[in-house]
Amino acid sequence: MSLLEIPTAWPETVKSEVQGALNSRRLGAIRGALRTLADLPESIRGKRFKLGIIRTFTIETQLDSLGLALATLPCQPDISLGPLESLEQSLLDTDSDFRRTEPDAILALWRLDELHPKLAFEAPEMASESRGKAADELIERIAALCRKFTAASHVPLFISTIPMPTNLSHQPAGIHDHNGLRSVLLKINRALLNIAVESNQVHLFDFAAWTEQFGESSIDCKMDFFARQPISAAALPSFSTALARLFRPLLQPPSKVLALDLDNVLWGGVIGEDGLQGLKIGHDFPGNIFRRFQQTALNLRARGILLVLLSKNNHSDVEEAFRNIPDMPLKLEHFAALRVNWREKHQNLSDIATELNLGLDSFVFVDDQQFEREQMAFNLPQVKILPVTEDPLTILNALTSCAHFDSYRTSAEDLTRSSDYAMQNQRKELELASGSTAEFLTTLGLRATLSSVNDATLGRVVQMLAKTNQFNVSTRRHTDADIRKILADPRNILIALSLSDRFSDQGMIGLGIAVAGSTNEEIFIDTLLMSCRAIGRGAEEVMWSALVSYATSLGFRRLSAEYIATSKNEQVADLFDRFGMRRVDETGERRRYLIELPAIAPLPKWIEVIDSYST
Amino acid sequence: MNNEQKLLQAAASVFGIDPQTLNVDSSPETVPKWDSLGMVNLIAELEAVFDVQFDIMEIADFHNLGIIKSVLSEKGIPFE
Repeated sequence: MSLLEIPTAWPETVKSEVQGALNSRRLGAIRGALRTLADLPESIRGKRFKLGIIRTFTIETQLDSLGLALATLPCQPDISLGPLESLEQSLLDTDSDFRRTEPDAILALWRLDELHPKLAFEAPEMASESRGKAADELIERIAALCRKFTAASHVPLFISTIPMPTNLSHQPAGIHDHNGLRSVLLKINRALLNIAVESNQVHLFDFAAWTEQFGESSIDCKMDFFARQPISAAALPSFSTALARLFRPLLQPPSKVLALDLDNVLWGGVIGEDGLQGLKIGHDFPGNIFRRFQQTALNLRARGILLVLLSKNNHSDVEEAFRNIPDMPLKLEHFAALRVNWREKHQNLSDIATELNLGLDSFVFVDDQQFEREQMAFNLPQVKILPVTEDPLTILNALTSCAHFDSYRTSAEDLTRSSDYAMQNQRKELELASGSTAEFLTTLGLRATLSSVNDATLGRVVQMLAKTNQFNVSTRRHTDADIRKILADPRNILIALSLSDRFSDQGMIGLGIAVAGSTNEEIFIDTLLMSCRAIGRGAEEVMWSALVSYATSLGFRRLSAEYIATSKNEQVADLFDRFGMRRVDETGERRRYLIELPAIAPLPKWIEVIDSYST
Repeated sequence: MNNEQKLLQAAASVFGIDPQTLNVDSSPETVPKWDSLGMVNLIAELEAVFDVQFDIMEIADFHNLGIIKSVLSEKGIPFE
């Protein structure tokens, strides 16, 4: 049974018809499925994909099967065949019938039986040097073919490794290499692999590995002799599926993120119920399955795939488990993002997509719970979901055989991507762990205290005025004397803001000064500043709200403000716009704002405000 | 569907024609699509439909559907 990854957008009946037809080996069923696909809306059939195949043996009658497998990529396949033999002419002559079909990709299927019949069948009679010479000639022939083709065309070329010849492929493995053929083929195939590795345009179909995997049943000697058609009917579904997967990266960009559930995916058991001791993870059954799964995920990470964790659990339980279970391949720092909380997983995944700046279609989701998979599919249909059951082996196999991450190359950038993200992740660990910004801030237990300035705090106020550069709308460096003068007029407002959370008290971190105009109509925001370490928590909204409300209660009709640009305060350039003020004037680096009072200035929900200013 | 109908149906689906147009006398001479590749397809289809394996020298003699029918019946596929 050969399992295709059939597009989720296809109707269920179509999915099962296609899968059933491919494995039935019945031409009628395969053609019926192709007709069904032709009736699907264009949008879910994928784009047209013209595949050209040059080959040394017959595959004509097997193209419907290949076409059906290709269609699941999805694409609308159109396969053209070069004539038997004449590889060079088909491939290199741009006027050949084959090249005139203008394929999007070209596959070369060949075997030793035709490429070098003497080597294929007479190797035992040949001297060892002649075998070596024959191998070198064949390598050079293929290398030249690739060289000449890539020099003149940009179409991707897929070359095949060479399987053992049909008459010898049934020999039991491990037998002495009597005829010297196995070592010769290893040499040839090694050279073909190198050609593909060294070129961005040439890729490899490991035909030899495929035939070895299927052994005797891959080749049908009868049909090979009768019609030079070696691929057996029994192995055809697998052959078609393997070939189709080869072209997948041309049609589907590889996924970039593996989003993992935790309980019963990364370890056996549920941490919240079974506790640390009850988890199954290790070298013994059944923990060895989960251990292998972790290692498989880690191997994807080594290729540049980002790992993220989506788990409905208490964060501390999970942290404790990762810290204390010995010898687990995966560590928390391997994850580019963590969401261990009780929110719905699609919300967490959306957040992560925004945070990593990646599209939802870059994500592959694994979860043993059908409910979670369904909910994800319902809310975020772009996310790829591995088809698994609760059986850990199906989960492991789904990841091992997953085609979503297929790509032809791993770039140097891919290799370092995971660790770059992991470092960012460490800096923001708690934030990541706690979900979206607002939810995270709620967990901090923030408390803002508004107070007036007295002799005891004056020093700190002047210090902030002198030092604060970034979150500072006007950068006025008032002195001790200036502040005392402002304080002397009861119509002026001078608010100090202190911030604390459940971890620490950060002390006074914000200052707002509003100076009354000559009439009682207007009051002007002279200074609004925040210490850097307090930014991003909503303290500025608290300050704004306080300024608005005190100015209103003092009877002013208008609140004005000024932003004075410096080389360092870019981050507050639009602060007053965000607060809803109107721009009234702009000269040089000064921009004036106005708002009528009373005005709406909502407080962030996640901050408890203690007002000791008015009292 | 009896086995003769199955045989005609299998051949018809391989050649992409109406089974009504086929009978035991149908041969490469009377069926245009029954060329060498058509023969390869027909053999694969019949082996799948009847779950049999033909011997290589048997297929060399497949000159018409009647011969195929008798080979199938030698392999234990009953025809009335």
